[in-house]
Amino acid sequence: MPPVGIWIDGLIQSCIYMTMAFGMVLVFSILGILNWTHGQFYMLGAFVVYYAVTAAGIPFPISILISAVVIGGLGILVEKFIIERVSVPSAQGALYVTVATIALIFFFEGTASMLFGMQDKGLAMVLPGVLNLGSFSVSYQKIAVVIFTLVIMITMYIVLNHTKVGLAIRAAAQEPVAASLYGVSVERLSLIVMGIGCALAAMAGSIMAPLYVVNPFIGGIPMIMSLLAIVIGGLGSLTGAIVGGIILGFLNSVVAYHLSYFSEVVLFLLVIIILLVRPQGLFGASLK
Amino acid sequence: MKKWYSRATILAIVTLLGMSGIALGQPTVIKVGLPTVLSGPAAPWGQIGMDPYLAWIELFNKEGFKVGGKTYNFKLVTVDDKNTPEGGAAAAKQLIFGDGCKFLAGHWSWNFPAVAAVSNQAKVIFLTRTGNEAVPGGVYDPKKQPYTVFANPSHDQFISDLFALVEAFPNYKKIGILDCTIGKGIGWDYVEAELKKAGVRYHMEWFPFGTQDFTPYITRFKEAGSDIVYVAGWVGESMMFAKQRWAMGYKEMRVGHSGPFVDVNMYNAVCGLDAAQGFIGQYWANWDFNKTKVNPKYIAMCQEVMKIVSQKHGKPFAYSGWIGWGPSHLLILAQAMEKAGTVDDPEVIMKAIRGGTFDTTTGKWTMSGAKTYGSPVVFGTPSALSMIKGDKEVYLSEHPMKPLP
Repeated sequence: MPPVGIWIDGLIQSCIYMTMAFGMVLVFSILGILNWTHGQFYMLGAFVVYYAVTAAGIPFPISILISAVVIGGLGILVEKFIIERVSVPSAQGALYVTVATIALIFFFEGTASMLFGMQDKGLAMVLPGVLNLGSFSVSYQKIAVVIFTLVIMITMYIVLNHTKVGLAIRAAAQEPVAASLYGVSVERLSLIVMGIGCALAAMAGSIMAPLYVVNPFIGGIPMIMSLLAIVIGGLGSLTGAIVGGIILGFLNSVVAYHLSYFSEVVLFLLVIIILLVRPQGLFGASLK
Repeated sequence: MKKWYSRATILAIVTLLGMSGIALGQPTVIKVGLPTVLSGPAAPWGQIGMDPYLAWIELFNKEGFKVGGKTYNFKLVTVDDKNTPEGGAAAAKQLIFGDGCKFLAGHWSWNFPAVAAVSNQAKVIFLTRTGNEAVPGGVYDPKKQPYTVFANPSHDQFISDLFALVEAFPNYKKIGILDCTIGKGIGWDYVEAELKKAGVRYHMEWFPFGTQDFTPYITRFKEAGSDIVYVAGWVGESMMFAKQRWAMGYKEMRVGHSGPFVDVNMYNAVCGLDAAQGFIGQYWANWDFNKTKVNPKYIAMCQEVMKIVSQKHGKPFAYSGWIGWGPSHLLILAQAMEKAGTVDDPEVIMKAIRGGTFDTTTGKWTMSGAKTYGSPVVFGTPSALSMIKGDKEVYLSEHPMKPLP
């Protein structure tokens, strides 16, 4: 049985994958695309919070909100001026979007390198200190990650289930044609969803910035892991994104503890098995 | 009219003679190519060396070096090798065939085979470091790559670093060694054999590329009884490890990495001031060496460079890593050419390098290692370590590498 510290670590990792995956699935549900730049919005979110705290002296929690607004806005611009334009209604449309969002990975990484430099940056001064629980300790930052993720998930639940926008999102995700007949503007909804999805990625990057380093290349791994979480949970399922994130976070930590670097082999093998046995994931609708 | 012509002719001849006289007095410039990392995640380590390299070369060129009565200067030409094999090959081609560089030096990226393939074919002497490729069984073949010089023995330095750690902390329980799976290869077998031979207590862990959360590895080190964890390179990962072990309450676990500190403030900012204290790194500040003797002339030059770069940056420049690479390689080259009596014949210059003794910014070392690498071209290293104290790095220990067989 792994020690308590490993389970806590699994919980922290679950939080980040959950938040990232939720945003990705949200975008997929409405736009029908996988946003390969999701990891770079995570990275840009971390940079925004870094500069908001260190350069502008804005308190960390407010900086996270600023990061969400700024990067959410950037996501809307990307949707409006790039994705919407290359997403032509043909068989090639999805491919064009994929290529465009992959190209944006390098664009954002390169731009961030030029603007912010490539040296690692850190926010160690935010929420310093640890909570000593006898045989193990938990940093206040990690506790904050869990609380913050809970707040985000509860907020998203309220938005999706108790607001008009949420109703429109759910309607458009299930039946886009029927939703548009009822007056839902799928185009406008796409912008809103892209903004929310990118804001979620930015908040994940922001909340993790004090735990890890901040540099232009930190987005790749969280993006891949959130993709795995989606595959486990089921592409298009918001519940699946949450459950997939939780499973992946714990697995990643526990397997790494037991098998060290073989953890990656196990995780990717698991994904392949899921794709073979249940391609729709744990919560996705059957493809047949 | 005739008088005017003859006067003008005489004046032109005198002017030309005068100019050629000036030209004769000017040192001849030898272009040295530096394929290095200027983009991507490792770029900070490529970029930070540029200003001190250029300042050092400017100081060096005041005297230059003499071959056959002629004075020569170095000119450094840099191309981004992106730390990739294709980037390394492209950079080498650009430097050799595009920029006309006669030598490649100062190289430390992970693309030795790609750069060496180009440089050896072009008969260009290439000064680099050892890596997995160079240890016995690696892709390095001294017969096929006769123009490769291992001016920095990375694996041996790593081993010597661990010995320096043992000397600094003789009551250590077990040294944890952490490396990325990218570095996994025959080089580790070589390191392990040396550690076992020396009786060093250690526990090894590998992490997958891109790891940001080191909790599982910290826990495994803790359970294995490691009280010092030395990370092979990987600065960002080392900082995250140091920070996360602190957050887990393992404050007694020392952390270090086999690389010089780029900026101590970065470690304090990323790890947190408390967690960064005592962080161990490689140290190339030759003015602080206790066991390795360095030519006072080179020490003065290096200190002068630190002042020049500090003035240029408008703040104290403390990075010492540059001392062990570019200047050291260029001094080997200059002295080899002086000994060889030629700047053009790579065979004769290589003959001077093999088994030769060179006075460099990191001490005087003899090229050896005939049995170790199948090549008599491996240089020594002071293997000095420092640790973070406040916002400064202070000397910790030193284990100069013994001559290789």
